Amino acid sequence: MPDFRAYIRAHLPPLHVSGAREADIVEELALEFEESYEDALANGSTPEDAWQQVVQHAIPWHQLAEQLRSELRETNPVAPVPELTNRNVFLACIADVRHDLRYAFRQLSRSRGFAVIAIVTLALGIGANTAIFSLLNAVVFRSLPVSAPHELVFFGNARAEGSTQYLSSGRAFSYPFYREFRERNHMFSNIAAIHSVLFGTHGRVDDTLDTEKIAVELVSGSYFDTLGIRPTVGRAIREDDDRIAGAHPVAVASYSWWQRRLSANPTSIGKTILINSTIYTIIGVAPPGFFGVTVGRSPDLWIPLAMQKQISPAWNGLSDKRFQTLHLIGRLKPGWTAKRAAEETTSLYRQIASEHAAVDSDDRELNAIQRQHIELVSAATGRSPLRVQFSSPLTILMAVVGVVLLIACANIANILLARALVRQREIAIRLSLGASRSRLIRQFLLESGLVAAVGSIVGVFFAWAAGRLLLGMVSTGTQTVPIQIAPDAAVLSFTFAVTVLTVILFGTVPAFLATRLDVAPSLKEGRATTSSPKRNRLARVLVVAQVALSLVLVVGAGLFLRSLNNLKGVDSGFDKENVLVMGVDPAASGYKDDRRLEAMMEGVEERVSVLPGIAGTSFVFYLFDGGAWRDDIQVQGRTKSDADPGVNNNVVGPRFFDTLKMPIVLGRGLDARDNLGSRKVAVINETMSRVYFNNSPLGHTFGIADTPDFQNLEVVGVVKDAKYEHLDESQRPAAFYPHAQHIGGRFLYLFIARHTGDSARLIPEIRGAIHEVDPNLTLGEITTLEQLVEDSVVDKRLVAQLSAFFGALAAFLACIGIYGVVSFGVVRRMGEFGIRMALGARSYQVLWIILRDTLQMTILGTAIGVFLAIGSGTLIQNQLFGLSSTDPITLMLATFAIIAVALFAGYWPARRAMQVDPMVALRHE
Amino acid sequence: MAPIDTDDHARKKGSAEFLVLAQLEDRPRHGYEIGIEIERKTRGAVSFQIASLYPVLYRLERKGLIAGQWVEKAGQRRRRYYKLTRVGRKVLSEQRRSWSEFVAALQAAGGLEHA
Repeated sequence: MPDFRAYIRAHLPPLHVSGAREADIVEELALEFEESYEDALANGSTPEDAWQQVVQHAIPWHQLAEQLRSELRETNPVAPVPELTNRNVFLACIADVRHDLRYAFRQLSRSRGFAVIAIVTLALGIGANTAIFSLLNAVVFRSLPVSAPHELVFFGNARAEGSTQYLSSGRAFSYPFYREFRERNHMFSNIAAIHSVLFGTHGRVDDTLDTEKIAVELVSGSYFDTLGIRPTVGRAIREDDDRIAGAHPVAVASYSWWQRRLSANPTSIGKTILINSTIYTIIGVAPPGFFGVTVGRSPDLWIPLAMQKQISPAWNGLSDKRFQTLHLIGRLKPGWTAKRAAEETTSLYRQIASEHAAVDSDDRELNAIQRQHIELVSAATGRSPLRVQFSSPLTILMAVVGVVLLIACANIANILLARALVRQREIAIRLSLGASRSRLIRQFLLESGLVAAVGSIVGVFFAWAAGRLLLGMVSTGTQTVPIQIAPDAAVLSFTFAVTVLTVILFGTVPAFLATRLDVAPSLKEGRATTSSPKRNRLARVLVVAQVALSLVLVVGAGLFLRSLNNLKGVDSGFDKENVLVMGVDPAASGYKDDRRLEAMMEGVEERVSVLPGIAGTSFVFYLFDGGAWRDDIQVQGRTKSDADPGVNNNVVGPRFFDTLKMPIVLGRGLDARDNLGSRKVAVINETMSRVYFNNSPLGHTFGIADTPDFQNLEVVGVVKDAKYEHLDESQRPAAFYPHAQHIGGRFLYLFIARHTGDSARLIPEIRGAIHEVDPNLTLGEITTLEQLVEDSVVDKRLVAQLSAFFGALAAFLACIGIYGVVSFGVVRRMGEFGIRMALGARSYQVLWIILRDTLQMTILGTAIGVFLAIGSGTLIQNQLFGLSSTDPITLMLATFAIIAVALFAGYWPARRAMQVDPMVALRHE
Repeated sequence: MAPIDTDDHARKKGSAEFLVLAQLEDRPRHGYEIGIEIERKTRGAVSFQIASLYPVLYRLERKGLIAGQWVEKAGQRRRRYYKLTRVGRKVLSEQRRSWSEFVAALQAAGGLEHA
């Protein structure tokens, strides 16, 4: 049949109507020509005659054009143009969008399969992003719930917990320093002091008999004023409450504790709590949501610093200028920047610290004070041990979920490209009916937007559910980290931004490509089964990108998992299995740091160790991952060097090494001989023996700097090196001292017991045995050493587990992507395969054609992925333990895994092609 | 009796419109079919040049007497079908009356025989 469309287009003079309208008319005229031509053929004419008849019987072109122009001009009568006010444009726009939205709904409800897949994929991607961002927001970004948080600054980074006696440290401050600084400065409208350690004490509320765990934060009288916090009920702690040591046993309760413990009863003001033999009166309740300035730590009570000795009987020093354990937070006066105030702060710090040092210091310390600089760090988002621990892991995970979302977007973009082919006819008709391309693009974007909007709503629900799971994953011990991660304005804005971004990412290009087509051929096509090379190329590029990105994630997951494995495989130097760890609070039970305390500890160690199923017991000052007492030592007869590493000191019971199965490699361990009447002894580790005693330490003596009770200590044994704070720490020197020789100065809050029997059965027996020694002794939570070790890698575990999950998700999404593109290719080439098989091709040859195609995309993707993984590896190197970010085994395994997954995804469509019946395939063509 | 338009051009135009409307009375038809139908019913006395009906169709559509719609039927070409609107149906019956009066007038005045 002659191409009448071309013939008409060549002859019909311009009609001066829109392209789409003209295309419509040409189409209709061509149909008329075609039918006349076919009728002529049917009446026996030759094609040439038929052509002649049609051409001769047609109305002259100029006449037709003239008539059509006259009719069509009137078809679009010039309606009175409404005044183009902003309001009219706006209303028209709204009406258009409403219409398009309805259309989008119809389109999506017609293709439910697509809608469901796209929504679920996006919900997973957006949900993962929202969940990780919720946590990141809660830990890192969210401002403190105090007034004008941006005006608040910490002195230094406020991270160090514990005390230091070096006046030049600049990391923690003494109470006298706080008082003087506050008095003499002119940069701050107010300054508050907060004890760096949150006290996990035990107390009795009102007249109840049971003691319970109560988290106490010691704060200065200026604390609530400085933060601008007004209590919900009652009054806050005031200056007067914090003036005289021990004089004002008052407490402000946190809102959640008030709700939990006192049923939010407003009359609970005036109720009392007994802590360590002191009765405190509740004077107020902090507002809901206020948790202090430490994110991830929520005190139950705030008590004035002046009560320090009553809360911490063995470790205090309110008037001691060298007992530096406070963090300072100041509110800058208007007009002061943190930078300018820092200079003045440094200068005032140097003055006061020098005055404090003048009495008992040497030139070295005085010089160090003059060199020290106090930085003022914004306190707007508070301080947080969680932030220090989880910032890097969460940033890595944020990047990971970002990549997952990219892969998800690539998947949906690919589906949209395929859909665009199927919808060619619809697009062509709409174009020919006069729709503008921009309107169609808008329509497509609106459909994408609708999918993304539903996806993001589902995603927020996913995130909400996942949030609890995540909190559990970052929590250690029995309690969940007290942070609020329910979606707030910041999180929802983030989700909205991510949603818009995803629409731009997956919706734009398909929308532009789909609407760029020639109307007439598309109308002529039946169901479109061909695709433009450009679209096909883009689909393949998207698959290659998906493979590359998912490889990066799988490599990352592999690295983190292997790193975690390495870390867990580290020789800790002790046997973590079958050791129960029990919290004991002698101070809460009225003990002083004296001989009675020592007698109780010896009694408990003795009594519990004879229980059947118990192989060893010991009180300990510090246990793995529970902090450390690090100090300089002085070895008699050895010149001190600046390069000498500090020593981790620990005070333990006589059976400590047996209980933890830490082998003695030289001399002896601690035992019952080491008591108050005998020579003070120490067992040191191999590193200390090597560094300080040239490997022959026995009989030598040493002392801990400025600690009178720890002088002239004789080394009686060497214990095998172990890990004390973290599994990935570099080996430290360490020394262990028997608690029987060091009475006073500290409480040992941990009791450990090695067991051989069933721990669940033993716990009540241990409790019973302890209460036989002292029925009033307050016992805390019970955990296991294994759990403590496991908790010490919580950040590494979080990254490893989540990156493994997201790596698998990424590979799965890439799998779907490959499957989709290969399937589409197979359907498109079904005819070709039919011909090949009809001509004698074997099915495995057809299989190979398709798998080769899959392999090409995969190999290109993995090559790019390996390159990307190696390039981005440096970013995570410091999170890895015991392997390099370019670890060849991980790279190789990940590459094989991705290729296997890709071949698996490509195999199913290939199988379909293999089983094709040549006749069916050809008919399909 | 309504006044009869005697202007030749207007009458021709009017007759074409009338004939098209009449073909759509019982069912929707596409452009080619309308032309064929008129030729068949008039036994070839009235025939249109190829493509010449379309200006008439577009005019009728503009006036709201007919409505065109692309329709796709299984095993057939996609075609634009025209159907009579409610207004079109009314206009057709008016025109039919006015044409029969005109024909009656011609018979009476011109001494024509009944067909």
